[in-house]
Amino acid sequence: MNRSLLLPWVAVAFTAAAWAQQIPVVEKTLSNGFKLLLVERHDSPSVTGGFVVKVGSANERPGITGIAHLFEHMMFKGTPTLGTKDAQRDLELINEQERLRTGMRAEEAKMRAALRRGLVDDITSPESKTDRYKELEAEFKQRVDEQRALLVKNEFDRVYTTAGASGMNAFTSDDMTGYFINVPANKLELWCWMESERLLRPVFREFYSERDVVFEERRMRVESTPIGKFQEQFNALLWDSHPYHWTPIGWASDIPAITKKQADDFYALYYQPQNITLILVGDFQPAAAEALVTSYFARIPAGNQPPPEVTTQEIPSLGEKRYYAEAETNPQVDIYWKTVPFGHRDGYALDVLQQILSTRTGRLYKGLVLGPQVATESYAQQDSRKWAGTFNIGGEARDGKTPEEVEQAIYAELERIKTEPVPAEELQKVKNQFAAGEYRKLSANFPIFLQVLQNEGLGDWREVNDAGPRLQAVTATEVQRVAQKYFVRENRTVGIYTRKAGLGAKAEDPDFAGLSAEQKPVVRRIIDSLKGESDVAKLKQALEQMQAQAAGGEPKRQQIQKLLAQKVAARIAELEKK
Amino acid sequence: MKPIFPTAILLAAWPIFAADIPDRPEKLTFPPLTFEPPNPADYRVQLKAGPVAYVVADKTLPLVNVSLLVRTGNYLDPQGREGLAEFTGYLLARGGTASKQAEELEERLAFLAAGLSSSVGDDSGSVNLNLLSKDLPEGLAILREVLTAPRFQSDKLDLYRQQSVQGMKQRNDDSSAIDARERELLAYGTNFWACRFTTQKSVAAITQDDLREFHRKWFVPGNFVVAVNGDFDRAAMVAKLEELFANWPFKGETPPPIPTNTAMAKPGVYMVNKDVNQGRVVIMLPGVKRDDPDFPALQVMNDILGGGGFTSRIMNRVRSDEGLAYGAGSSFPGGIEYARPFQAGFASKSRTVAYAASIVVEELKRISEKPVSDEELNTAKRSFIDTFPENFNTKGKVAAILAREEFTGRFAREPNFWKTWRGKIEAVDQATVQRVARERLHPDQVVVLVVGQKDEILKGHPDHNTPLEKLVNGPLVELPLRDPLTMAPLPLDAGKPPATN
Repeated sequence: MNRSLLLPWVAVAFTAAAWAQQIPVVEKTLSNGFKLLLVERHDSPSVTGGFVVKVGSANERPGITGIAHLFEHMMFKGTPTLGTKDAQRDLELINEQERLRTGMRAEEAKMRAALRRGLVDDITSPESKTDRYKELEAEFKQRVDEQRALLVKNEFDRVYTTAGASGMNAFTSDDMTGYFINVPANKLELWCWMESERLLRPVFREFYSERDVVFEERRMRVESTPIGKFQEQFNALLWDSHPYHWTPIGWASDIPAITKKQADDFYALYYQPQNITLILVGDFQPAAAEALVTSYFARIPAGNQPPPEVTTQEIPSLGEKRYYAEAETNPQVDIYWKTVPFGHRDGYALDVLQQILSTRTGRLYKGLVLGPQVATESYAQQDSRKWAGTFNIGGEARDGKTPEEVEQAIYAELERIKTEPVPAEELQKVKNQFAAGEYRKLSANFPIFLQVLQNEGLGDWREVNDAGPRLQAVTATEVQRVAQKYFVRENRTVGIYTRKAGLGAKAEDPDFAGLSAEQKPVVRRIIDSLKGESDVAKLKQALEQMQAQAAGGEPKRQQIQKLLAQKVAARIAELEKK
Repeated sequence: MKPIFPTAILLAAWPIFAADIPDRPEKLTFPPLTFEPPNPADYRVQLKAGPVAYVVADKTLPLVNVSLLVRTGNYLDPQGREGLAEFTGYLLARGGTASKQAEELEERLAFLAAGLSSSVGDDSGSVNLNLLSKDLPEGLAILREVLTAPRFQSDKLDLYRQQSVQGMKQRNDDSSAIDARERELLAYGTNFWACRFTTQKSVAAITQDDLREFHRKWFVPGNFVVAVNGDFDRAAMVAKLEELFANWPFKGETPPPIPTNTAMAKPGVYMVNKDVNQGRVVIMLPGVKRDDPDFPALQVMNDILGGGGFTSRIMNRVRSDEGLAYGAGSSFPGGIEYARPFQAGFASKSRTVAYAASIVVEELKRISEKPVSDEELNTAKRSFIDTFPENFNTKGKVAAILAREEFTGRFAREPNFWKTWRGKIEAVDQATVQRVARERLHPDQVVVLVVGQKDEILKGHPDHNTPLEKLVNGPLVELPLRDPLTMAPLPLDAGKPPATN
């Protein structure tokens, strides 16, 4: 990096014009449609390389939700020459497996029919399988075993790892699928070979075991976490018509029904060169890297039909939506307002507003956690996705407070933003934070790579460089305007979570700390019965008796008596207040 | 500026035609890449004021990062006041200073877009300042005051205490939290310091005076190691650091050694009943310290067994072959002060938990009984040796890694540790891999922790006759959940879902 570019900034510190830190991206387009983005850096002898495919769960439809993500997993399964000792037999076995799977799918249809009629409760349980299904499954397993004998397991990964590459991974979001790895600087040609091969002739072997892996990923991320499954449902309430209605992992019933044929079609449609951007960040010389990339990737045929755009738009919000759930979690509120997609001109003011509301010196922490103390924590986030966006605010209720009280405190803070302009000093504070972020984002190859990739996947990599000055230009009036525009009642979806009663996680009354395991249930029963007693006179009489007993009691019992006396006194106070 | 043309890239710049592209990646040739790790002497400074500092100048961005490692830790928590170290660590930077209220300090740092944080973990503390270089003088003045005259404002203590207790209430909500806690207890035993937990009572007992005393005892220059990187001149920075640590207003103590009285549970299967549809499993065996002479060989062995991701055996069988888990693998971490256990783990749907666990145990046997292949050995070795430069790929990492070496005392014992590390990996052969596996991995001695739906998991799967009870030469024990605020065991049926009305 050329230091001289930075010097003027140091001199004039905190003037908006000089803020933007440009990531020096070189953009090229290959003859077949691939876009190539290059960022040259010589900090370490390595290159972070990868590509973004402009497809995500928003491009799916009911029945195949989760396919973009499942497909991402399949991209690591190899090529005709990587991953098997016998490419021809491998292909035959894949076809035989498909034939058997067609039969199994007919049985799965019968199992679903049995579920609809109430004959079985759970078609995923091994006991629900039909006899014919079990026969076909046994045959299928034979083909899998035969194929496995020919496999070179995870050879795609092994070649890279043996060459000193690291951090190979990929992700799928609503809008994009990204792939990446870090290679030593002298192995850039290996990257070109590996990535162009898997885009040119991927083989989707081990499709069905990978589908099971993805279902385990679903169990891990969604079904087995305290609020994952609730968040999936809440998200479906938030988005009415737009395909953001389902999440990238896909519906539980869709994942096990996706077929290999559907995956093949998906690949043909979305993994065309004109829908993919290649990105390299690191230790290379751009012209040489471009030549190398061109020689490998230009051989991939251009696609013949452009991938379809997502045309379904979210219907306008006409009324507030509310979701109440009991879960194994502390009480909390989670609120979403529909805002704007990536690149929308209101996005910058909303980003500034996010920063004004969040952080330890932000409005929410001061207004919810520190001041009236209704919450233990709070957050705010503007999320501009490719096709639509949301603004999310939430917080965890402090003990003794309800999520609804947190909700009202959030609205009070938003009212303040709507009615009073943000003071200049506060606005400058968040702009300073964005400006410093412009430098922090340049710390290493991978974070630079990821920012370029995400912006490109959302619509345009240039936003990594353009957003800085636009954020600096936001005025207090604009912040007020976007708050008034988007934070209206009919535009919000509110999730209220309370703790599910009766589980082991139930927090114990701290006053019980010194009691033995035998004493606790007895004391708890007495305290519970107090709630049903509303005769103050009777309670006062009981209290007097207790105090008299406690005075002469043995020390071991004194703690219980003291505790019960306290609880009775509290009940009396409660009744007298009413 | 003269363009840089590394040899590798010059060669690659020759046009390549599609016909020239080989059918296998092994046919590609690459120029050599040499890399030497940073030389500690280039950065190490013994400050007159006490601490050793690693000073790495780097003017590419107008940012400075100052990090302190502190000899302290949770192990110094007094009995009955568990949480004191953590509270002191958090509130040091968050509780104001002699001249500034916490709120005023936070506002100023936020306006400067500076990050200042502090924390105390198991066996060390840290304080970090990251800011624009133009603000360095002000930032260092704030840091000095935070370190020497923290206010530990009482409202901040009360708030953190409240947040801490509320956090405790989630202790049984997530199966991964239960797993993390119980695995420590099984690995180290209830008498080990790392297995003491904060409780509502213990954090209620913490006073402002406790924080002050803990701070003055351990936060002294003699207990610091410093890492600094960023936009400065080295000599000027050294002078600033001398000033930062000079004339400390209190004396402090050298902390006692970290106790090492760990005791792993007896072999067996330990289950915690939790109503989630995916069971979490960890399979443990006694481990080693990282200065064990076999440690490099154990790293290579573990990489082949389960540490190497998609090139490892456990991942290939449990995930890729059978589709039983999303993540599956093993680790053989070397402890610094005490041995840390070998662990293999995965999460699978209830009915296949036992089957997947049987595969992992089978792999422990196989790697002890048969030599690994040439290809496996080579892949594992390359994965350590050729990714080596990544450990040092930013100046911040260089400063941090060298400071850590100083802090743990390894620099004093083995100043050439990083220089010789690749050679030690290169020297590992098949026989050594098998020997260390045989010596360390005893499949019949494993301690297995399972967190999930007990009844469903014990049902097993009709296609696989691998009962969990027979996995180990030991009993099947159900462990209770713990009361989240007192950590006292709850009745065994606590994890069951409540009866539906």
